[in-house]
Amino acid sequence: MFLKTEQITKDFGKLRAVNEVSLDIRKGDIHAIIGPNGAGKSTYFNLVTGYHQASAGKVLFKDQEITHLPAFKRCKLGITRSFQITSIYPKLTVYESVLMALLSHRKVTLKFFSSAKKFFKEEVWHILEDVGLAEQANVMGDSISHGDKKRLELAITLGTEPELLLLDEPTCGMSTEETETTMDLISKLSRERGITILFTEHDMSVVFGIAKRISVLHQGTLIADGSAQEVRASEEVQKVYLGGAA
Amino acid sequence: MIKRGWWLLLLIIASLIAPAILSEFYLTVLCEALVMSLLALSFNLLFGYMGQLSFGQAAFYGLGGYAVAMLITKLQFNFWLSLLAGILLPSLIGLLVGYFCVRLRGIYFAILTLAFGQLIFFIVYKWHDFTGGDDGIQGVFPPGIMKNPIVYYYFILFIFLASAFILWRIIHSPFGQTIKSMRENTERTEFLGIHIARYQLITFVIAAAFAGLAGAIWVPFYRSVAPSYLMWIKSGEPVMAAILGGPNVFFGPILGMFIMTFFHAWVLGFTYFWPVIMGAMILTIIFLLPGGILGFAQEKLKERREKNEFGKGTTLKCF
Repeated sequence: MFLKTEQITKDFGKLRAVNEVSLDIRKGDIHAIIGPNGAGKSTYFNLVTGYHQASAGKVLFKDQEITHLPAFKRCKLGITRSFQITSIYPKLTVYESVLMALLSHRKVTLKFFSSAKKFFKEEVWHILEDVGLAEQANVMGDSISHGDKKRLELAITLGTEPELLLLDEPTCGMSTEETETTMDLISKLSRERGITILFTEHDMSVVFGIAKRISVLHQGTLIADGSAQEVRASEEVQKVYLGGAA
Repeated sequence: MIKRGWWLLLLIIASLIAPAILSEFYLTVLCEALVMSLLALSFNLLFGYMGQLSFGQAAFYGLGGYAVAMLITKLQFNFWLSLLAGILLPSLIGLLVGYFCVRLRGIYFAILTLAFGQLIFFIVYKWHDFTGGDDGIQGVFPPGIMKNPIVYYYFILFIFLASAFILWRIIHSPFGQTIKSMRENTERTEFLGIHIARYQLITFVIAAAFAGLAGAIWVPFYRSVAPSYLMWIKSGEPVMAAILGGPNVFFGPILGMFIMTFFHAWVLGFTYFWPVIMGAMILTIIFLLPGGILGFAQEKLKERREKNEFGKGTTLKCF
């Protein structure tokens, strides 16, 4: 099994944000987690990536238990994430930002005397061209548009050459058009680089268009898990989330 | 690069012929400016590049000085080995202090470095039998020909240039890129697989080593060391120098320290109100030139360049 959570639970005081969620993510899939605001999607992400420590349950990645590993170690194993509120380097150039990810992933960050700029030129340009940021390579991270910032964060995560990429609301705040190109880009990257993608999304049309599998969270509990048709057909999902509109 | 190179070359040539031009008094001031600039560079590795304000950097400077002074006067130790000890002791203490400090960030980091700095100061100050307490240690002589101030000046200049070169390389290395990234966005960097505390600790130790080296080469020139070298007031000097010259430019803290040291020497000739003048200078810089003198200059140059390059530099922000 690629990624597996076993009855993973997170309590914040008396609030149970994630309630015994057991889920298998298959290698190569594009897997969506949906649910209304406060359903526990982001908290679930945080448990998988090590941002939060689980209150109970287990996280297994490629049959290795990672429940209590710190975030940076999970990243070294091949799990990288983006954040719901775009997390980039405001005062590094687009190029340097992606370079940083590669320096870290290829384990050269303890080199003290060689020039950082000499490393991985080809790889950085390849990523920048893939996500369409090559023309802005020398622009500071805080000087590009909102949509470009989202794509920059995606480019940074690609720099760690992940096996599993978790994208927290990758199209949040984008126009319909931008959303479409971004989702196309994500599915292309998954295909070409063989990356398994787990993402959260609130826009239903986006999810049903691209995700091979969909899991639905409601008040911290997993209420449905399956293909788009299966999830759409689930009565419970229609009741709590789709409101019959689908 | 060539454009940047010429003024650097000019400065190095000027510093090489300085002893022929300057009076003995101003040559001493120049030595102090170089040594203090090295301290400021070590401090700025933490402040400007890693983004953490250390308010105890002088403790390592003082420890370097004390290591050399005690080894030379009490044990008649070899000068060069003493210098080495003047780097190793602060590094070791830096490792110990850093172990606790790197767990914290921002104002808490600053306060903890201040607390540790003062702790080390008080140990040196109170331990009269061992360190000489408030008397300090006098009669620290360098060997042979190095007693000549001009020869020692060239020695300081060499150490300064070599250290600055090493620090420059570190800042532009993959390690330097990592600490800059930590400054820009700690969380993002951690989630790229970087063990933040470990890199902060390494930086802390490097900074302590260079601060120690600065103290170690200064004391044999000045022939003495005193507890005030480790005090928080001394720690404030690199902070002010970095803010004055610009913490985001490599040469910023050096310029800041040169202005402070030379201005200090000059002003003391006719008034004791040095702190007032210094305070006014810092205020002016903060309000009129945010980013420090060199930071401001660099920003202006960049703006001009961007204006010349048609269409570049337009920023679009939308939320």
